[in-house]
Formats: sequence, structure tokens, C-alpha cells
Amino acid sequence: MTRRAGRLALLLIASYLCLAQVSSDFIAPAVKRVGMRLACLCGACKNSVGDCPMIGCHYSAPARARIGQMLDKGMSDDAIVAVFVKEQGLKALVVPPAEGFNLLAWWMPVAAVLIGLLAIYKWISHMRKPAPVPEMDPSVLDKYRDSIDQNLSKLE
Amino acid sequence: MENLGALSLILAFCLSIYAVFGSVVGKWKRRPFLVKSAERAVYAQWGLQTFAAAFLVYALLTCDFRLAYVAAHVNIAMPTLYKFTAWWGGQEGSLLLWSWILACYSAIVVWQNRSKFREMMPWVTATLMITQAFFLLLITYPMSPFEVLAVGKEIRAVPDGNGLNPLLQYWSMAIHPPTLYLGYVGFIVPFAFAMGSLITRQPGDSWIHTTRRWTLVTWLFQSMGILIGAGWAYAVLGWGGYWGWDPVENASLLPWITATAFLHSVMMQEKKGMMKVWNMVLVSATFFLCIFGTFLTRSGVVSSVHAFAQSPIGPYFAVFLSIHIAATAWLILDRLGYLKSEAHLESVLSRESSFLFNNLILLASCFSILWGTMFPVISEAVTGEKISVDAPFFNRVNIPIALFLLLLTGVGPLIAWRRSSFESLKKAFLWPTAGGIVLAGVLFGLGIRHPYALMSFGLCFFVLITVAIEFLKGARAIAAKTGQNLLRAMVELTHRNTRRYGGYIVHVAIVMMFIGFTGAAFNKERTLQVAMGDRFELGRYQLKVTEIKEGQNDNYSWGHAVVEIYQGGRHIDTLTPEQRLYSAGQGQQSSVVSIRRRLHEDLYLNFAGMQDGKAIIQAYIFPLVGWIWLGFGALVFGTLVCLVPSKVKYEFAKTRVMGVAQGVAKPKAVQGD
Repeated sequence: MTRRAGRLALLLIASYLCLAQVSSDFIAPAVKRVGMRLACLCGACKNSVGDCPMIGCHYSAPARARIGQMLDKGMSDDAIVAVFVKEQGLKALVVPPAEGFNLLAWWMPVAAVLIGLLAIYKWISHMRKPAPVPEMDPSVLDKYRDSIDQNLSKLE
Repeated sequence: MENLGALSLILAFCLSIYAVFGSVVGKWKRRPFLVKSAERAVYAQWGLQTFAAAFLVYALLTCDFRLAYVAAHVNIAMPTLYKFTAWWGGQEGSLLLWSWILACYSAIVVWQNRSKFREMMPWVTATLMITQAFFLLLITYPMSPFEVLAVGKEIRAVPDGNGLNPLLQYWSMAIHPPTLYLGYVGFIVPFAFAMGSLITRQPGDSWIHTTRRWTLVTWLFQSMGILIGAGWAYAVLGWGGYWGWDPVENASLLPWITATAFLHSVMMQEKKGMMKVWNMVLVSATFFLCIFGTFLTRSGVVSSVHAFAQSPIGPYFAVFLSIHIAATAWLILDRLGYLKSEAHLESVLSRESSFLFNNLILLASCFSILWGTMFPVISEAVTGEKISVDAPFFNRVNIPIALFLLLLTGVGPLIAWRRSSFESLKKAFLWPTAGGIVLAGVLFGLGIRHPYALMSFGLCFFVLITVAIEFLKGARAIAAKTGQNLLRAMVELTHRNTRRYGGYIVHVAIVMMFIGFTGAAFNKERTLQVAMGDRFELGRYQLKVTEIKEGQNDNYSWGHAVVEIYQGGRHIDTLTPEQRLYSAGQGQQSSVVSIRRRLHEDLYLNFAGMQDGKAIIQAYIFPLVGWIWLGFGALVFGTLVCLVPSKVKYEFAKTRVMGVAQGVAKPKAVQGD
């Protein structure tokens, strides 16, 4: 009886594992890895080929199929990306390449922070300098003194 | 009849032009009746625009397909709510909404200040009405929502319309655009007062005191608009992305960032009389970025998921922006003498310095987003080749900036105004820093290796401790004095200085959102083709598609997958993601995702259709994402607290050295405050 129950349990586990295998992942991990470096150029999203969620996307779906084929042929990730860049130009990449004019895309935010820091340094240096203090006319001072004396005499 | 809407807009345009000239000439030639009549013109053009808006809404609700706009955005089977929201579903209607909100704001400003700021008000009115005239020009001439469909000279109606884009047929789309516009448009008011103050050479900060509440309310609307939009994207687009760094999303974020910088730096002006020029620049930049955002959305200059179709209004915006920027720059430069600081910085280790760094980081973030958004255009202009600047770029550049900003959120409250000593700073920073490091260490020990996530969680805890210390310190003092319990004392403390403690609640809200954003580092997803009865796993969940149900109503046909959710073999929930096919227009598809929302993670399912007899299910786990929406609630609450008048009126005395008597030693530094 115990043996039968054990076999039944084993059968159930085996069937569960088989059933679990029936479903198939839509995007293979390797395709996704390469696709994450390529921009989806469908015009309706700002995702990459690897994570474009539109199942029937007219750009990403065929692009993923091609990546799969190229991976099957043994091409490296870089070689696959290069094929897409050759066909589509630099816009095929999800981020601008860090070379030539496009280096500016990466360096300008850093430059902005540095310029800002310099501006803060200048501002602090300027603001910490005491302002030129005007000499006060003695007659004005006497006027205030008289006023204070008058007020104090009222208090007394 | 069908021309009444267009006619009222033409009249409103004429009145807004009159209001500009009436205000300026009345003030210049000292004719108070002209100024008064210009103000009445503001009310009148509001009335006319309200009529035009009501006319369009009536046409949408009654499906008056003689109007091209109605035929393009409404169909008979659409629910009434979405017929109403079709008002802002297209280019022309949304511009009318923009213009109408501006008319409402202008009327409120003129009415509120009918007996105040008489020197400044004509210029405020003129500034508001110049912008008003610009938008009225757009909806009167190139982008009229009242264009009729005609064959020859005969007006013809089509039998049914195209209907609203299915993605926009969602409840939050009834709130998101108007809220965002309330934010965008509202920033014009502080700008108008700033200009009025500059033109009339106001010596004080009256424009700041007047517009403080306006700015805060507007900032609240902008925040709400952005976050409701994020919530819509999360629930509707089918992949859980609440922020995609799309140019139009970026355009809404840019003025929000500069306005946030302004809300901080304005405190320097109020308390210390410093940074007057900077505040003018910030308030102007916020206004320009609002206009720039509207331009970006509608001109087709950059490719966007959201952008309305390419339209001829880009050059109008370019001219308007150029003239405004040039005029404002000239005005600020010309009035520099009136914008001199009244005090000096006493120490680098001071709250003032922390505000400077806060502004620097906010502006750096603003610049990097603007730069990334515009770089494809710039690059193409220079190199002749198109490039893509997508989410990974923005994430790489902005995550470090955001983390530094989070750090400053905690640092600011710990540093005193005027000056802090190293000793006091050491004492103040000890517990928050220790808390942050310990939490990051514990998370590392638990197996989290993502460096940004560790930093973010550590910094979040750091900020929470600093805010808690601020509340506890103040509440304990009140409790000791009044005998109240600690909770009651905290409420009393907040009521005494609503701006400060409301601000801290907003900081906590930002921390909550950061917790949610950080969760994205641990997202899990699977896209599968699943046969009926199949099980698959995602994280610790087992999912089983048991049934596909189908149905139809007047507006769309639908199919939804019934997905049973198990955890450890135990059934815990049933989710029913749905796919719709709308009957109107070109039969557009849309997804209605099904989400099991929990504070620690959301299980998110999208039914993407059927292929080879199997259901395509996109399943995601989004850890901590619920904290973003909780943070949204806290942000609204905190900002509302800021808007409540404080129980205690604080006066920030500003002392200045007017001069020294001869024979008296000169001070080493000028004292502020």
C-alpha cells in the first residue's frame, strides 16, 4: 500500500513536471541578452528589442527571430549588434555609442555638474566677502542718539 | 449654430489682445479706467472661452459628427465619460483645455488682486494675456476644434466617428491630462508676478509672498499629473512600465524639477534675502519649460509615443518662446540692481549651502534629461545620422544624480541656518548615518548585491531617520511643555509650522517613491505560450490558465484568460487579464491587465492574445512598486499640510549693516538674519 502510494506520488510529480514543460518561454534568454542592446524602432515604444512587450511588434518580433537565427549560427553578441548597426545605422543601438560627437551625450551632464560646482564656488566666495560698508555721517548718528535719549527719558 | 464656438474664440482672442494693450497703455498713460476695462476684458474672455468649451463638450456628448474633431475622437457606442474626456483626447481639444484653464487662472488672479498690488497688476494682467492671446491664436486659426466637415459649401455629418484611442479609455485618463495642465498652466502665474515685479522695479519680495501658494498648488497639480500618468501607464500599457523616459514624459518632468528647485531656493530669499536673481531665473525657466513641453508634445520635433500628430504649430511656439526668453533675459539683466542680495553667507557649513547643492543637483538632473531628450535632434543636425537615446541612457545618467539628491534630502534638515559646527554636525549625522549603513549591511548580508539598490535603501533609511529625529525633537519639547502625548504633540508641532513639517512629509513621500523605484532592480518577468490547464512558475507563484472567456458589447469585443494563482500548492487568487478589440476606427486592440497588488510586490498579468491555440501570457513580478502609489498619497497629504496656514506666524528678521560710526571698528563680516 505504501509502495503504491509512493509510486502514485512519483507519477503525480512526474506529470506535474511534464505539464510545466508544455509552456514555452516566448523570448529565449540569449535573444533577450542581445536584444537589450538594440533599440526597438517600431515608433510606438521606447523599449529595446529585448524587452519590447508588444507580442506582434513589427520591428522587435522579426528582429528577435533574426537574433535567434544568428545565435544558432554561432555569431557573437557583438557581431549580431554590428549587423543591425550596419543595416539601420547608429539608431539601432539603444544608447548612443561613446565615440565621436556622441561622446557629448555622456559627458555634457557631467560637465553641467562641474560648471554648477564652479558657479557655486564662485558664488560662495563672492557672498562671503563683506560688502563695502559706507561711512556714516556723524550728524545722522547724532540724530539717532538724540532719538534714543528722548525715548529713554520718556521711560524714566 | 455650429460656428458659435469658433466665433466665441475669435472674440476671446480680440479681448485678450485688448486686455494686453489696455493694461499697458492704461498704466503707461496713467488711465485707471483703461486698466479696469482690461481687467474686465479678462473676465469677458474667460466667459467666452467657457462658452466655447461647453459648446465643444456638448457636441462631443451628443455626437455632433458635423464637427471634424468630434468625428475624429468620439463614436456613438463610447461611454459618456469617455465622450467627455475626448475633449482633451486630440490636439485641438487639448489646446482648448490649456487655453480655458489659463483663462480660469487669469480671472482668479485678477479677481483676487482687484484691490491689491495696483502698481504691479497691469503688468501681471498683460503677461497673462499675452500667453492667453497666443493660445487663442492657435485654436482660432491653425488648430480650431470647431472645424466642420463639408462637401462643397454644404456641411455634412458622418454616420459615426472614429472613437477615442482605446488606451485613453481608462478612468485615470479622465484625471491625468487636466491635472497635468493645471500644473503646466499654473506656473504662468508666478512668472507673471515675477515679470510685474521686475518691470515696476519692486524693491521687496511681494511677488514671492503673493505667489507662494500659487506655486505650491501648481506644483501639487503637476506632481499629481505626472504620478497619475505613471499609474495609467502601469495599469494600461501591459508591461508595467510606469516611466519610460519618453520625450513627452520628460517634458512634464522638466518644469516640475525647476519648480521644485524654486520651492527650495525661495526660502533663501524669504529668510535671508538671498538668491533673488536665481529665483527669477528659476521661475522663468519653469514657465519656459512648460511652453517648451507643450511645443515638444505637439510639434513632432522629437519622436514620441505620446506625441499628437505632427502639426504646423511648431514654428508658432518657437517664435513665442524666443521672444519671451529674450525679453525676460533683458529684463532680468536690466534690473540686476534691484535684485541684489541683502545678506551674506556666513558659513559654507550652513542650510544655505545645502540649498545651493540641492539646486545644483536638481538643475543637473533637469539638464541631463533635457539634453538626452534633445540629443537625437542635435546629433542628427551635426552628424546627419539619427541615433536613439532610450531608457538605459537616462537611467545611467540620472540614477547617480537621484541618489545624491536623496542624500541631500536627508542632509538639509540636519544643518542649521547661518552656520553649523563640525561638532554639531557629527552629533546630528551619527544616528542617521549609522542607521543607513547598518541597513545596507543587513541587506548585503541577506544576499542583495545590486550596488544602486543597496545605496538607495541605505539612503532612504538615512532620510527617514533624519525626518523622524526632526519630528521627535520638536514633539518632545512640546509634550514636555504641554503634557500632551507624543502623537498629539507631533500634530501640534506640524500645525505650528505647517510649511516646514509638511515639507518633511513630502520628503518622506519622496523616500517612499524611491523605495518603489528601487524595487525595479529586482523585477522578474516571463512571456509564455500557455495551453489550457498548463502550469508555469514565476518567482514563488505557480500560475495555471484554466479558461478563456469571450464576450462583446457595443464598444468592443473582449477575451479574458482566467488564471489561477497558487503559492506553495495553495490557491491564493484568481486573475483575469483581458484583451479588447474596439469596434470603432480601425479596430484597435488594448489590454486590461490584472494585478494582485501587495505592498511587498505586485503580481502583474497581461493576456496578449492567442497563438497556435495557446494563450500568450506576460507575467511580471514588480517588487515594492506599491510604495510609489503610497508615496503619491503622502506627497499630496504633505503638500496640503504645507498649504494650511501655520498656527504661529514666523517673522524672519533680516538685519543689515547700514553703516558704521566713524571711530568705531568695522565688522569683519556682515551679519545676516
